[in-house]
Amino acid sequence: MPEPSARMGRRTVLAASAATLAAPWVARAQSNPIKIGIQSIFSGPIALLGVSSRGAIQPEVDRINAAGGLLGRQIQPIYRDSKGKPQEAARVARELVNTDGCEILLDAEASSGAFAVQEVVRDLGVLCVHSNSETSSLTADPKLRVATAFRCARQGVHDAIVGGAHSAKVADAKKLVKWATCSPDYAFGRDTTAQFLDFLKHFRPDTQVTTQAWPKLGQPDFTEVITKIIQAKPQALYSALYAGDLSAFINQGNVYALFGAMETFIPAMGDLPVLTTVKSLPPGIQSANRYLPTFPDTKENRAWYEAYRKANNNDYPTNWSWENATAVRFIEAAVKKAGSTDGKKASAALAGLTIDSPFSNSGKVTMRAEDHTLIDYAIGWGTTIPKPPFVTGIEPADWGQITELETEWKKKSGYL
Amino acid sequence: MSVPTRSHTLRDIMIGCLVIAALAAIPFLLPSKAFQDFVIRCSSMALFATSLNLLVGYTGLSSFGHGLFYGLGTYSFALLMQKTGLPLPAAFVLTLLLTAATAVVVGAICIRLRLIYFAFVTLAMQMLAHSIVISWVGLTGGDQGLQGGIPRRVVAGIDLGNQYHLYIFSAVLLVIGLLLMRHIVSTSFGTSLRMIRDNEVRAAFLGIVVWRVKLTVFVLAAVFAAVGGIVMSLFVSGAYPELINWPISGDAIFAIVLGGVGSFLGPTVGASILLLLNDVVTRQTEYYGLALGIIILLFALGLRRGLLDFITQRLGGRPAGGIS
Repeated sequence: MPEPSARMGRRTVLAASAATLAAPWVARAQSNPIKIGIQSIFSGPIALLGVSSRGAIQPEVDRINAAGGLLGRQIQPIYRDSKGKPQEAARVARELVNTDGCEILLDAEASSGAFAVQEVVRDLGVLCVHSNSETSSLTADPKLRVATAFRCARQGVHDAIVGGAHSAKVADAKKLVKWATCSPDYAFGRDTTAQFLDFLKHFRPDTQVTTQAWPKLGQPDFTEVITKIIQAKPQALYSALYAGDLSAFINQGNVYALFGAMETFIPAMGDLPVLTTVKSLPPGIQSANRYLPTFPDTKENRAWYEAYRKANNNDYPTNWSWENATAVRFIEAAVKKAGSTDGKKASAALAGLTIDSPFSNSGKVTMRAEDHTLIDYAIGWGTTIPKPPFVTGIEPADWGQITELETEWKKKSGYL
Repeated sequence: MSVPTRSHTLRDIMIGCLVIAALAAIPFLLPSKAFQDFVIRCSSMALFATSLNLLVGYTGLSSFGHGLFYGLGTYSFALLMQKTGLPLPAAFVLTLLLTAATAVVVGAICIRLRLIYFAFVTLAMQMLAHSIVISWVGLTGGDQGLQGGIPRRVVAGIDLGNQYHLYIFSAVLLVIGLLLMRHIVSTSFGTSLRMIRDNEVRAAFLGIVVWRVKLTVFVLAAVFAAVGGIVMSLFVSGAYPELINWPISGDAIFAIVLGGVGSFLGPTVGASILLLLNDVVTRQTEYYGLALGIIILLFALGLRRGLLDFITQRLGGRPAGGIS
């Protein structure tokens, strides 16, 4: 029979050996800084999502830390690449909390990743702010909602309402009845287009859709799509294309003088990486804002824009950039208000919270309590010109109208 | 290889029980949820990769579309749990039956072909399944995936919403799956597989009904892949098109290449290496693909075989699959 002390020694040795073997997984949660897990797509063709999100998050974190941190603790952001795979997004979310000891998640994933993270958050109970997913059901559908998860991003249905109202007004003035659409062939493209047409018809019931083209994501040649649209002879064209696909479509459409032949409505046009990469930006395209330093035209927005470019090698901020900067500011305000990073306490503080923001025409944005989603952000439509500021005459949307029609849409969708 | 004796089978079962007991005890010594997550994911990938090795390593059927059945397991189970009130065991069994039925149809078409033609038709089948998932938005959620989570109804005190329960459940499924596959390749049926791999014509002359053996192993491999898919659907609490898309088949092939095609546990070792690489490299760099490519090149050019095959050969043994 071994001596008790010897037995203890062997156990200690065994535990130490096991601990060494399992070192990569051992949680290190008890460290002092507040760790915020930030996951996004940092590699591959849509790495701009993660890169331009990080470009906005880091200066906000630096600002908070320079001012003494949050609750007296420095913030330590931990960035992880999910490579655009939902199963990897779920794994990374768990790893950030369970291994890295993150107390808060800032989920800068695209929509499919965000839905995967939402389910992980349901299990883990930490505060999570989705900062890039625009798919409305994430927060609108009560079955999907999670008590500690919030969306700090524009929302598809908001854009559809504002786009429908603005387009109907232009259609009234220019007597536009026959429409064509050209949107990416996947759920986002089809849903966004359907929602836009629903609201356009709400305002202009005589709208006719003459043709619909669905190019594939990343399609290099739009000749077939452009020819199809021209042959249908519509008076107006709506497109939910975005980013690189949109730049390619505009460049190739210019060759066929597509945009001179019809009134064109493209909500994603108003994002600087697109506006600055199009070779010859056609004038007169109706465009929503994504992020523009001139909308809202305030010194706070301009200052943020300049600071972003200075901090990011003169790169332009994207729509994702302002959303992530806002997400950090909401986290900061909620944790301060709650006096804690605890998921339940911070969530209670965040629900219904209003903060000052350079990305709002009213100067304030709100995290709506009833469905944990962002409202009152700057949203409007203007017209493109081929030189800076690229989009002019932007008409801010009426948030009263957005809320009213959104409620109707929720009822129609069975969410209320 | 001879038919397994009762003592061999008992030995394997004993080892399996010991592994489960050890895994069950680890969380009490090291309460790391991340380790549990790793074991859950590893169970899923190991079942998937080992099932593929039944085709690649033991039968000589290089399937590029085995992920079809992994994804089918994920979607079928997630849909049955979400859309019906079925208890978990019923959804589990129904998923396996559905996968087997699909595998009979797909296999009947594919096994008529050989070599690269077989590989590409299986790949085409997976691409077809992926297209169906993307297009059938009402059922599958399309490219957004099946949202809303999987309700994990408690059965006999087992709550798969509880991470420790899911961890044990996955480990038990892995061990049972490996034991069953080990048994399959150790029987006379397993010998037939190797004969077909080595010389299909000679096997036919010896009286083996080649198409029947091929179809049977194709269906069995599909069912085990579906079990891996079920584990993954529970882990991510949903189903996503990436889990049925063709790169997932590539992951299983990578696991086999890394671990070894000729050793029964090679794919399990390979799955562990692949996931560890993913986890470690992703923490360090955004150039995951580049790092993984270099490491696989090192394995291919340096070891010239999978890790377990290399070790087995260095120790003077002959890999169980007898490939190298």
